[in-house]
Amino acid sequence: MTARLILFCLAHLAVVLTLRAQPSFAGPMPSRAVVERPDARRLAYESRIDEVLAWRSALAKPTDPLLRDMAVIAAKLALREDAERCSLSVIELMKEPGSGPFWMFPTVCVAYLGRDQLSAEAQGALRTAWSSTMQLRGDTENHWAMYYVSLYLMAQLHPDGPGSSWYSGKSSSENLAEARDYLLHWMKLTTTIGQGEFNCTHYIGEYAIPLLFLSAWAEEPGMRLRGRMMLDWILADQFANSLEGMLHGANARTDDTSLIERWNALSTFFSWLLLGNTATPAGYGGWGIYFAAVAKSYDLPEVIYRIGVDRDGDFLQRDLKRTRRRWRNSDVEMAPIYKTNYSRRDYAVGSYQGGISDPIQAHVWDVTWAVPDPRGVHNTIFSMHPISSSFDMQMYFAELPDQMTKGVTREGKASYDSPDKLLGSSRFERVFQDLDTVIALYDIPPDTRFPHINGFFSKDLADLTEDVSGWIFARGGDTYLAYRPLAPFEWQPLKGFKSSWTADRIDKGDRRLFSPHLKNGTIVQAASVSEFATFADFQAAMRALPLKFVLEPVPSVTFKTLRGKTVSFTYDQVPVVDGKRIDFGRWKLFEGPYLNAEKGSQKLTLTHGRLERVLDLGTVTVTDRVRPE
Amino acid sequence: MPKFKLILLCLASFASSQLGAFGAPASAYDLTVCAAINRNYVIGSKLVTLNGLFRRTDAGGFVHFGLNFPHVFNVAYDPRNRDVLYLATANGAVVSRDGGKTLRIATSWDMTEAKDICLDPNALDQIFLALPDGIAVSTDRGVTWTRREKGLPGRGKYTQTIEVDRTRGGRVLAGCESGIYLTEDAGRRWRRVMVSKATVTDLQQSPHDPKVWMATTQSDGVQVSGDRGVTWKRLGGVPSEEALYNVAFDGTRPGWMAVSSWTYGVWTTEDGGKTWVSRNDGLPDGHCVFRVGIDPGTGRLYAGVYQTALYHSDDFGRTWVVSGLEGSTIGNFVFTPRASH
Repeated sequence: MTARLILFCLAHLAVVLTLRAQPSFAGPMPSRAVVERPDARRLAYESRIDEVLAWRSALAKPTDPLLRDMAVIAAKLALREDAERCSLSVIELMKEPGSGPFWMFPTVCVAYLGRDQLSAEAQGALRTAWSSTMQLRGDTENHWAMYYVSLYLMAQLHPDGPGSSWYSGKSSSENLAEARDYLLHWMKLTTTIGQGEFNCTHYIGEYAIPLLFLSAWAEEPGMRLRGRMMLDWILADQFANSLEGMLHGANARTDDTSLIERWNALSTFFSWLLLGNTATPAGYGGWGIYFAAVAKSYDLPEVIYRIGVDRDGDFLQRDLKRTRRRWRNSDVEMAPIYKTNYSRRDYAVGSYQGGISDPIQAHVWDVTWAVPDPRGVHNTIFSMHPISSSFDMQMYFAELPDQMTKGVTREGKASYDSPDKLLGSSRFERVFQDLDTVIALYDIPPDTRFPHINGFFSKDLADLTEDVSGWIFARGGDTYLAYRPLAPFEWQPLKGFKSSWTADRIDKGDRRLFSPHLKNGTIVQAASVSEFATFADFQAAMRALPLKFVLEPVPSVTFKTLRGKTVSFTYDQVPVVDGKRIDFGRWKLFEGPYLNAEKGSQKLTLTHGRLERVLDLGTVTVTDRVRPE
Repeated sequence: MPKFKLILLCLASFASSQLGAFGAPASAYDLTVCAAINRNYVIGSKLVTLNGLFRRTDAGGFVHFGLNFPHVFNVAYDPRNRDVLYLATANGAVVSRDGGKTLRIATSWDMTEAKDICLDPNALDQIFLALPDGIAVSTDRGVTWTRREKGLPGRGKYTQTIEVDRTRGGRVLAGCESGIYLTEDAGRRWRRVMVSKATVTDLQQSPHDPKVWMATTQSDGVQVSGDRGVTWKRLGGVPSEEALYNVAFDGTRPGWMAVSSWTYGVWTTEDGGKTWVSRNDGLPDGHCVFRVGIDPGTGRLYAGVYQTALYHSDDFGRTWVVSGLEGSTIGNFVFTPRASH
């Protein structure tokens, strides 16, 4: 009996483990070889989608008559299974609707997937929920993207509803018109002066998912095509800024985890699903379920696929973005963000010019290195000023001044008011990047909370050496790193945040370079291991580079980079390279070997080899061609 | 029951009916509180608590009415019909014509996160809306809205508070990031009458003398005007290193006023602003007072303590009692005469 019981338990455990398995999360890293044949790519893509849906569907307890969340219902509807249970569950869940975009878009997903599967009563419950509970629009662009795509699609699904049948009090046609108007406004803004929440490790989902829905379900051909074009647009942007599927800095928004473990982000789910070149994060990124549920309606253009996985060599990409909307404490409504991305096989260096693109979760610059398996690896290095400021928060939020810095720590941004945080941007940081050299300068007023800079030194750095020259040398993967603090510092242990939702800390093995000097700076130079015979040779080369700097009256550096360029950079002044001032006024919307767009053009040209796709949001046309040899 | 006991009970019952909660005299005013009871709420969550509008009951408690709606910051009633109400909300201006049972988001995507709303008592179809990026006006009872910002700066027009001069139609004061602005033609042209370093958080007209206005600010202390808001001077005696959130006049006693502050809590004056005293004994430590209000019928002073509770004082802040709305953040207190109900 006991043996049978044990066998039964083992069998049950095996079933549970199989059902809960996430092979692409826990299994070996996938091959990074380019899949040349489109049909093989598509097959692999669909297989990954099926893996997500099968996993999520299997999380439903077989003995429970109801499904307990919208994600499992979406997965089941996408798999066309369990329709009756889905219906009963929808009816139950709709008795207590949520109150904003994070509730709206899953509901829309289920409503559309369930059009021919859910019972009339369940569809009625979905409809009723949209009249009974006020939906909040939110206060960020990702909120609005979700909110208005959801409203657009629900209004389209129920076209003749009077105002009394909608939470907004507006009729279906009014809701549809308002949503359409906003979405066109956002698309125009993004395709003329750049995205506000650019290259986000998590909020990428809050754009990609609604855009996919729009591209799949909008009945108006123009909106359907725009949805697809914008999805192409943001995915191309993400993949150009990813190193083997890991989105690196700079990021308008990221979080405490993804910031240091670059792979561990929702953005990686999209790389895994669409490119297949990395492992998926746990739970397929959470929100990723909703993308997967509709993903078979999308086919990633080959040119974007190749930008993501098939790179000949080093490339430099310069992009124009913008800050999110500033309500006050600023002379401009949206400040331009000049973003630089230099990618090589072994590492990528990314930055923007400093200042605040987002008040809480921005990440201004880093060097991120490639590793064979990035799971659990803290493969990045950077410094930052960990400011916590009501003034900054008021710039972006329409709230009274005092509760924000405290309230935000309870809203998934636990680190905001912590002196050892690594996440965030500062008004008192200026950054310039030339290829794989970054110079970050700080001029921090004494009464600032917190008056010091933090440098992030990963547990995964090898051969860390504090050289008498002042340089700190280290190796990350196949990347040599030279880090030059411009003011005295001390090492401090760094306890990482357990998650963005809790102030609980755990020792992740990293260290913090703590420097309390208000006029300060960091220079980082990266190079491939393969460029030098030995680590000592790299160090010798770095020591030999001419470097002059002063910290008073403001930090100022003149440095000859490893690439032979003389960079002069003074806090709050225009950087000069080889005697030539950088002209930010001529910065294009995208400029590089793969993505190109003129500011204001609404037209993005994607190029890889002879492949070319032009996304013209102005004329709502997509042009594919193979360029002549 | 012995007769004398019955008489005593009846007397007690009568006395109780003449008093509001906690021994305060019944007010000739209704009180609507805009409040959110949503600690740990994040956008999209299920609403597990009640938010939006709460009406004071005769017993002094508070009951929710209308839709459960987080982030309602202010409400203005149409005195011709108290079922018509205008809300300043996170979704923009919201109008109800049935006492809050059903709502319509009256503005579109281009007007969001409204901070304040007020009705022109001399032109009741005209409503003014304070927005984080300026000011909008409706002249048709909230059906359509247009921006009226001529004279406001391109930047610095974050508007936290807007208040109509009850004695002159179309005469409105707005508290903005860059100061106080005045219009005398219903927003067609604004001019700055007071320069501030940061946002003006509240503006109130004295119930005793319409020429007197008070303002609270984030960085310029308490400001007072004795000439209908044309010129302003700073009042001493109130700490003002940190932000002050709002000011309330006591309609029952000229010269009595209170201000709220996250940092300083409740401060009051009983001599027209010459001297001010801290009135925080009995309030939670740490202050975090988001809003004060004074019942114009009874002089009862209310204080909303951030995500804690609503408190009241019947001795103008010397002692405090929890009034209810535990866990709430108060957006505003709106008193309306019962006679017009």
